[in-house]
Amino acid sequence: MTGAEHGGEPERLAAILEGALSRLEQARPFAKARYQTQVLDVAGRLLACPDGIDRLHALAPRIDAAGIFVGSDWDAPANLLPGLVSGTLEWGTPTAVAAEAISLLRLLAVAEGQAQHPTIHAAAARRFLTQVLALNLRRFFGATDEATRATAGRQGTIEALLRYLVDHVGFQDVTGELVTEIWRILRQRPIQVAHVKDMISQIAITLRDRGSDIGDKRLGADRLVSALFGPTIACMDDPGLGPYCERLAAMDENDLRHEAQGLARAMHDTGLVSDYHAAFLLWVLDTDHDGLAPEALGLGNTGRDCWRCHRGLAIELIRRAVRPETAQALYGLSLLLDRGILHHPPIVPALRRQLALVPCPPVAERLSAAALHAVPPADLLLAGCIMVLGQPLGVGQGANPTCQSARAIAMWALNDPDYLLHLVAQAARLDTVSMHFEGRAIDSADLPAGLAAGAPLDADPVSVVLVHHLDRIYAEMGRLCADRSGDPHIWINPEFHGWWVGRACAVAVDVPTGALAGIEDFVGRFHAAYHPAFNGGEPVTHPQPAGIAATDAGGRFVGWHAITILRVAPDQDDEMRVYFYNPNNDSGQDWGQGVVVSTHGSGERPGEASLPFELFTSRLYLFHEDRLRPDTANRPPADVLARTADLARHSWSAGRDEIGGDAITRLASVEST
Amino acid sequence: MADKNPDKGYVAILGWSLNAIDAIDRFDRRYVIVAPPWAEEYAKANDIPFIAWDFDRLNERSHQIAQILKDEGCDVAIPLYEETVEWAGAINSVLLGNPRLLGQSMLFRDKSLMKRRAQLAGIRVGIFEEADNHADVIRFLKRVNQTLLKLDGDVNDPIHFKAFDKAGCLGHRTIRTVEDVDSISSDEFPALLESHLDGWEFAVEAWIKNGKIQFLNISEYVTLGYSVFVPATPELESWRTKIEAEINKLIEAFEIDSGFIHPEYFVTSDGTMYFGEVAYRPPGFNALELIERAYGFNGYQGIVLAFDPKTTQEELDAFFPTPVKDAKGYAGCFGAYPRRRVVEHMQIPEETEKHPYFEFHELSQPMEQKVTKRTAFGTHWGLVYFFGDDPHRLRDLLKAQEELDFYV
Repeated sequence: MTGAEHGGEPERLAAILEGALSRLEQARPFAKARYQTQVLDVAGRLLACPDGIDRLHALAPRIDAAGIFVGSDWDAPANLLPGLVSGTLEWGTPTAVAAEAISLLRLLAVAEGQAQHPTIHAAAARRFLTQVLALNLRRFFGATDEATRATAGRQGTIEALLRYLVDHVGFQDVTGELVTEIWRILRQRPIQVAHVKDMISQIAITLRDRGSDIGDKRLGADRLVSALFGPTIACMDDPGLGPYCERLAAMDENDLRHEAQGLARAMHDTGLVSDYHAAFLLWVLDTDHDGLAPEALGLGNTGRDCWRCHRGLAIELIRRAVRPETAQALYGLSLLLDRGILHHPPIVPALRRQLALVPCPPVAERLSAAALHAVPPADLLLAGCIMVLGQPLGVGQGANPTCQSARAIAMWALNDPDYLLHLVAQAARLDTVSMHFEGRAIDSADLPAGLAAGAPLDADPVSVVLVHHLDRIYAEMGRLCADRSGDPHIWINPEFHGWWVGRACAVAVDVPTGALAGIEDFVGRFHAAYHPAFNGGEPVTHPQPAGIAATDAGGRFVGWHAITILRVAPDQDDEMRVYFYNPNNDSGQDWGQGVVVSTHGSGERPGEASLPFELFTSRLYLFHEDRLRPDTANRPPADVLARTADLARHSWSAGRDEIGGDAITRLASVEST
Repeated sequence: MADKNPDKGYVAILGWSLNAIDAIDRFDRRYVIVAPPWAEEYAKANDIPFIAWDFDRLNERSHQIAQILKDEGCDVAIPLYEETVEWAGAINSVLLGNPRLLGQSMLFRDKSLMKRRAQLAGIRVGIFEEADNHADVIRFLKRVNQTLLKLDGDVNDPIHFKAFDKAGCLGHRTIRTVEDVDSISSDEFPALLESHLDGWEFAVEAWIKNGKIQFLNISEYVTLGYSVFVPATPELESWRTKIEAEINKLIEAFEIDSGFIHPEYFVTSDGTMYFGEVAYRPPGFNALELIERAYGFNGYQGIVLAFDPKTTQEELDAFFPTPVKDAKGYAGCFGAYPRRRVVEHMQIPEETEKHPYFEFHELSQPMEQKVTKRTAFGTHWGLVYFFGDDPHRLRDLLKAQEELDFYV
């Protein structure tokens, strides 16, 4: 379009948009859908006009508040996945493109502080945009020629939009924040790293094209890129797997040892496994250099010991589970060996069972779909088992409402690995899982779907196989205690997870009324049960499920969330902290009131999140204990109780009624009916 | 819910329409939606006052719903759909204590009775006849064309076929040949047959209170079943006084005290006005939206005002604008239908998208690639909206849309 001929077009469209928008604003919630398409149609056209993006940026918060996203996924911005944005922009209907653009622009307004959103705060909005931009870096570097930009059409509009976003978020910031962000995520050592790898690939392209613009973040970026694409001298130039193996063939033992060490160092540094690393390990096994395998796995003493005792099994596991498509299993295997769990009698036979196991057709189908048919299902599941057992705290729930199931998988991987393998074998063979609730058998195949509509596909292979069964069983246990008064987790948690879950349970919420109940007593009891200074210095022996009232950065209640308390210990500054596992994919969160969950730098082990004891307690609403200690023997002073209780009162329980007295306590025995 | 005025009437809305509920919820009258049970859960979830009722068949239970609404304290029932018109008549005969209202509503429901009643009242109607089967249609087609002195082999003048109790364009077919007759399925009978009149077709929306027209809009059809705009061109508006007189005849003939009617007329080239049909409910084709776009008032709220026995003349005068003079411009819409047999996707033609009168569209992407043959009027795939200040330009623009592909 030429500017002169359509000079008035943006003006005109803006006027039409105003009319459509005010109709949407006036409409009752149930009638919003009727007016959404009008607004999206006009907004989509305005987007393509000169100044259109600017105008929509200014309007986006209002359009959002008017209800443009009612009934769609965009309505919950905190759940949006950055990886889906480019697909929508590229292949979506014009209406979907307009919706995505408005969503991005309203997030930009939130990120820049021009607007507020009830469910996403500025930092999260900014992080989301940064990730979207990072995933699409090539799109605004590719078209260096301004003339191609003017060729309008959908591509032109998308590029203009992304460039607009990057101009506002800041280019250095995008790459810089991205690098920081990737490191922050990697330090938590997630099992699922596909999106991280995508982002690093984008950075690699950027570094090549605009290396100098990236500033002092260059070093961290280089390390990420090299860990994936060229961790050692022999593959620094990213030659491809074929030429790389030819180079290996020409090396002497000493060079190969260096190569093995270099690969292992890059892996343990980042938690990422390069395809070259997988190729190297398979090459050493194929060429009778398997003496280098422990070196290539970067094993410590325990790991080397396990390798020596179970070398045959370990090699079989590598041959089946480790290949360039499943390179991350190499890291899982390394950690599995170093955990020493092969010395635990049932694990070796359980892994042998897993090696021989052929998943039944429906399970194989799900695994194939999750792996995009790149890896045979049985091998993928084996790789998944290795990763989960090696990195129990790397399990994430993906974009699925199944925190309890993810938490259970992580807890078993950590504490009861042979039971986890037992469940995996059951689910893979029969596509069902059986458990017992208070003596009553429950079979997941007989149950309706729970919170998750189907099996998740955006999770690790073990979750793909197990989660929808666990989710159903969990829901069924909920139904079985629906008529009991009190939070159902009191009874479900010990039955679902294992014997080690404390049979006494304290709850700070009166379930029928939602009122805050006995909060100061609750805080005191938690100190007495878990705080070494008040419980006689007794450590947490087993992971304990607990319930968190999740809050956003404004301290506003978001929802109930399942986590695991792993340990309580002083950090390097001698501050007592609770170290816990959060099954969501990224534990680093700002819960408001200065309660910022740390994932690194305060004594956390990979995958752990932590908070100072009191701050953690302020978001806790349910915990288990074994009540084996004398009660109320030792309680923190009243001011600690009051201070902690106040944090709860002014955040997640703001607006709730409050009931005084003792916290609600129950023993998880069957209630008499 | 908006603040409700307890001194005003409490209306029962018969039928489920989110557009209507949305508008009425924002208005100051208390209301309750009476609709089939499938809507109940949704209504409850959205705090919409609701009474479940099955309108499938008028039967001995009709008195029951009238009693329920009377006990509820409702003052009047307002029909949203053709199917609920006689229910409203039955209910209002109880609520308003006027047994004649049921009989009146039956007239609205039967296109043939309606025409005869109009004819008896001295309103001019075209040639019409009832048809019970295919043979009746063929006979009528032949007779009309004989009258017109057509010879065998000449192209027939068309006749119109309208299913008795369907709303507006649904079930409306144009018949030119015996083959057209064959394509009518048996369940569309009984039907009304009408001769075709060459002329200007238009519709009227009239809000009536105490037997007086409170607001009268003329909707000008560009092509029946495709496009319409409001207000009409000055040429058609020049007939307004005459049209008002015709509407007053209808009010008298059908003994309409209050409410909303939606009749259709033809004006032939010699200025004779023929009555087509009249409906006692809101029109389809989003005419109320066009009126709102042009005049700024909400038609549904206007209907509630017109029906509510507690509405005052002052309220009505304040609510309704002056026709034509108060319009901010001309609003029209076009119902798009694929012109090709196989389509891949919806795409607004560039000349439409770039036209300064084009506002927005509500066309959806095709669900199927193969397009079924259009059998009746009104089965468009979505609407395209226009707004501008020159009625002739708008009319020509709407006409031009018929030659464009919205689905390719």
